[in-house]
Amino acid sequence: MKIHYVTGLGALFVVAVHIMMRLIMPYELSLEYENVIANYHNIPYVILLESILVLIAIHGFNGLRVILLELRQSKAWEDGVTILTIAAMMGIVAYGTRTIIIANGLGFE
Amino acid sequence: MEKLSDRNNREGIKGWLNPSRYGWERVSYWLQRLTGVGLLAYFVAHIFETSSLTQGPDAWAAMLELTQTPLGHLILLLVIGMSTFHSVNGIRLIFTQGGKGLGNPGRPDYPYDAVSLNYRQKSGIWIALILAGVAMLYGASVLFGGE
Repeated sequence: MKIHYVTGLGALFVVAVHIMMRLIMPYELSLEYENVIANYHNIPYVILLESILVLIAIHGFNGLRVILLELRQSKAWEDGVTILTIAAMMGIVAYGTRTIIIANGLGFE
Repeated sequence: MEKLSDRNNREGIKGWLNPSRYGWERVSYWLQRLTGVGLLAYFVAHIFETSSLTQGPDAWAAMLELTQTPLGHLILLLVIGMSTFHSVNGIRLIFTQGGKGLGNPGRPDYPYDAVSLNYRQKSGIWIALILAGVAMLYGASVLFGGE
């Protein structure tokens, strides 16, 4: 469970910063396209977003794996659940990273 | 001899959701898993939502029209409550697994209440629930108050 606790505490910290960034200006304004794209041009913030993505993906899919392993135990089930959750985790990290990379390359209209 | 695979003593999700066992600690166990699954679903949806950025301002505006609605704000409020409870209760569980707040081992006396299920653990669960409520109130003031 160490990886679950470490990623959970890490995610708590980075998500807190992510939410505070939404509150430094009026909420509706923070969601405007130009402001959101500006976030993706800020390299420390990009690193923060990638950290959130990786930490929550590991924590979330490992948590789901633990729940599914509590429900049923057999070699095939346990192997299947582990492989599927790792694949889903890698898929979501890849898809989120794609958004970060493309948004980082986008200019202002 | 009965084969291991023939034993059908597995309760599955029905056993998992049974609220009549073990008191508040069971409710906390149940809520921790329920909020975890809910937050994972929100996380996946949020990744999909933000990916519309890559298709330009019009796609982003269309996504905001879909999510920035009273229903979308209510879902966000639920996410705020779930994430606060999951975080605070998760920290309690980290301490508990480290042996903190469990009390000292003692002789089992009638009515055999477990020493580990003590007021510290119950307070932690209540603090998590109260903080989730406070966070939801603050979230409501931001989302619906036009701050």
